[in-house]
Amino acid sequence: MSEQNTDQTMPWRQYICRACGWIYDEEEGDPDGGLAPGTRFEDIPDDWECPLCGVTKTDFELFERPEITVSDQPIQFNREPGIVVVGAGIAGWSTVEALRTLDTTVPITLVTACNGDVYHKPELSVAISRGADKAELVREDGHEAAKRLGVQLMAETFAVGLSAKLRQLRTTRGSVNYTKLVLAQGAKPVLPAQLPPSQCWRVNDLAVWSGLQQALAKGKQSVAIVGAGMIGCELAEDFARTGHKVTLLDRNSSPLAGLLPEQAASRLVASLDDLGVTYCGGVDVANVTELESGKRIIELEIGHSIEVDHVVAAIGLVTDNRLALEAGLDFNRGLAVDSQTLRTSDPHIYALGDCISIDGMSCRFIEPIKHQAQTIAHAVLGHDTVEYDHNAPVIRLKTRAMPVVLHGQPSATGVWRTIRDTPEELVMEQHQGDKMICHLKVGSSSQNRAA
Amino acid sequence: MNSAAVSTSSELPWADNAKVLADVSEIARDQLAPAAYRIDHEGYYPIDIMARLGEAGAFAGHLDQYGTRYGLAVGSMHEISRHCGSTGFMTWCHDVCGLYMEQSGNPALLARLPDHAAGRTFGGTALSNPMKAFTGIEKMALKAKKVPGGYSVTGTLPWVSHIAQGQYCGVIAAVDRDDGSRSHEIMFLLDIDERVQLRKCPEFSGMEGTSTWAVPLVDYFVSEDQMIADPVRPFIQRVRAAFILLQVGMATGVIQGSIDSAREVEPSLGHVNQYLHNRPDELQAEFDDMKSQADRLLETPFDGSKEFLVDVLDLRARGSELALKASQSALLHQGARGYLMTSAPQRRIREAHFVAIVTPALKHLRWEMAKQMREEVPA
Repeated sequence: MSEQNTDQTMPWRQYICRACGWIYDEEEGDPDGGLAPGTRFEDIPDDWECPLCGVTKTDFELFERPEITVSDQPIQFNREPGIVVVGAGIAGWSTVEALRTLDTTVPITLVTACNGDVYHKPELSVAISRGADKAELVREDGHEAAKRLGVQLMAETFAVGLSAKLRQLRTTRGSVNYTKLVLAQGAKPVLPAQLPPSQCWRVNDLAVWSGLQQALAKGKQSVAIVGAGMIGCELAEDFARTGHKVTLLDRNSSPLAGLLPEQAASRLVASLDDLGVTYCGGVDVANVTELESGKRIIELEIGHSIEVDHVVAAIGLVTDNRLALEAGLDFNRGLAVDSQTLRTSDPHIYALGDCISIDGMSCRFIEPIKHQAQTIAHAVLGHDTVEYDHNAPVIRLKTRAMPVVLHGQPSATGVWRTIRDTPEELVMEQHQGDKMICHLKVGSSSQNRAA
Repeated sequence: MNSAAVSTSSELPWADNAKVLADVSEIARDQLAPAAYRIDHEGYYPIDIMARLGEAGAFAGHLDQYGTRYGLAVGSMHEISRHCGSTGFMTWCHDVCGLYMEQSGNPALLARLPDHAAGRTFGGTALSNPMKAFTGIEKMALKAKKVPGGYSVTGTLPWVSHIAQGQYCGVIAAVDRDDGSRSHEIMFLLDIDERVQLRKCPEFSGMEGTSTWAVPLVDYFVSEDQMIADPVRPFIQRVRAAFILLQVGMATGVIQGSIDSAREVEPSLGHVNQYLHNRPDELQAEFDDMKSQADRLLETPFDGSKEFLVDVLDLRARGSELALKASQSALLHQGARGYLMTSAPQRRIREAHFVAIVTPALKHLRWEMAKQMREEVPA
């Protein structure tokens, strides 16, 4: 440890995980990961892992909150009403930051159904076992962020109509005209009729998550999670680590079907089993009803039923097509955008984040969002083009007991080759001709070994 | 009076949409427009002109018996409202009353429908209070008790339009249990006969000719023949979007009338009016966009989905916003002449305000849209 590193007079720094956006603050350290408060970044051991996504310190970079100057807003008595952004998740706020960095005066309005508070969504699926609550997850109050960035925040406001021809967005607080519109409205959890919203929690935004968190804080309870995709598996581990009795249900026989080969999936199931999670594959939910006691009954198609305190639906996400339909925007399992410019089929409307689709594929990961925001900010302000380069992001399952890292996009029908198969680690690949299209690593976490 | 040119649905009365719209438009322009000041200010209730509009087919298009042509009903209301907002509003009252009678399926009410549709008898609607009560904005004004052969109803509705002795209106009353808790609600056609003493309302800032009264009821007996729905909530659920959708004709008429007024002075005042906001061409573009949304929604008035209801609320809200904007602009375009007591632009400003405050008011629409859009979560 060098002299310089322990120098308390040097200001504490923050480092951001390039993969998931989690911020390491030297002042706070990472006590759960063995780093005492005050641990300088240089002093972090090489095998330390990001508590959110499991990458090592080499994937972190210095984080400096951009100093953004805001000039006084001109009175909006003009023909250029400015830029309107819909949605105040990571995509919406990233766009606003990118715009403000490039232009200190352009009027920006942020319309959002939530209260606008800034938080990091990937944390939601691992936050309960960390003892976090809503207040702890909020990084910046929405109104303060709006003030800092010189944005008119229309919080708790729903976008209900869109006329592309008039360049007019209609909201539950009146109509807003725009020069350019950026849709960052996210995606919604899929809730088929068998999973009524009044009976099933979802983990897709801070407000609803907070309701579930408060319900689970009342003591050890039983939870059924319907859907063993990424979120379902992460939540299962998160709840089980907190002492809740978890049943994980999926219509496929294995979790993460289509993404993981059987060998890998069975390791995941075994690790969940070690944590006390009951995995129940190959079942379809017929109905969820509430008993007078407040407990819920999940009826399965195969006949029997499960009684639990809470049901969480995690069967997937879907983009709401309301605005696209009305404005006549191309929609293909998401707002169809050009892969390089992120422009929708309307020249004045752009979109990014969970609500878009590129060549018919949605891409609901954090990593690409900041690049998308840069591309859009340059385009809507008429600056030099910054082309977006769309790549399949690395998929990291935040299951600490059995981390899963997947590079590339596996083909559901492709053949998996086993590269390494030891009790600690399973490495597999898919090839197409000479080219490797997908690399999968399951296990081998230092946290796992330490556990 | 049917056009010989139409063959496909020639058995229907008023089968030719274009003919109905042309006839309604002519009556509105030649008879209603000259009477608009008297209706608005002097309380002239234009029941005679409404009878002629009914004869021309203005009040029938939306009814299933006449082809479920919501576009025609709203188109007629548009032509009427373009010349007189008060009569446009009464057209809506009359239209939804017909909707209740038909959707009730009650043979006694169905037998009365042809006279109603043709404007030989008249009736309105008193659902402002219950609609607000259902969404939690205010309390139910009327209480009903089960009695042999029907219900007995007591309470006072503060203001109901397009009613008079010998006329009728759709009404909702709450039925409470003995312990005072709410059992359900019923809906019926209130016949305004000798048992009902209508009370005068305070003077309004305009639209005085809408024959608007307070309706006090004391142990009013409702027979089976008058019943529209018991219980009422599933019925309201079914007709709610159509009820709100029909109001759009009032807004579009006021907007189009305002654009007409702004254009009227273009030859003489265009050189100075160019400095104004919301010029007629801009308003027309905005109106056309709204109209295309309306035309789409009018095709499926009984779509029961939440998405459709939000679409209808959105359309109705934008109709209010645009009516306010267009009427304001028309007065500025006409200047002093638009400010004359007898001028249409100043009357339309009050009509536009009415469009924005009549149930569901702009604020209620936004409140309801937010409620519909909010995610439901476990309790």
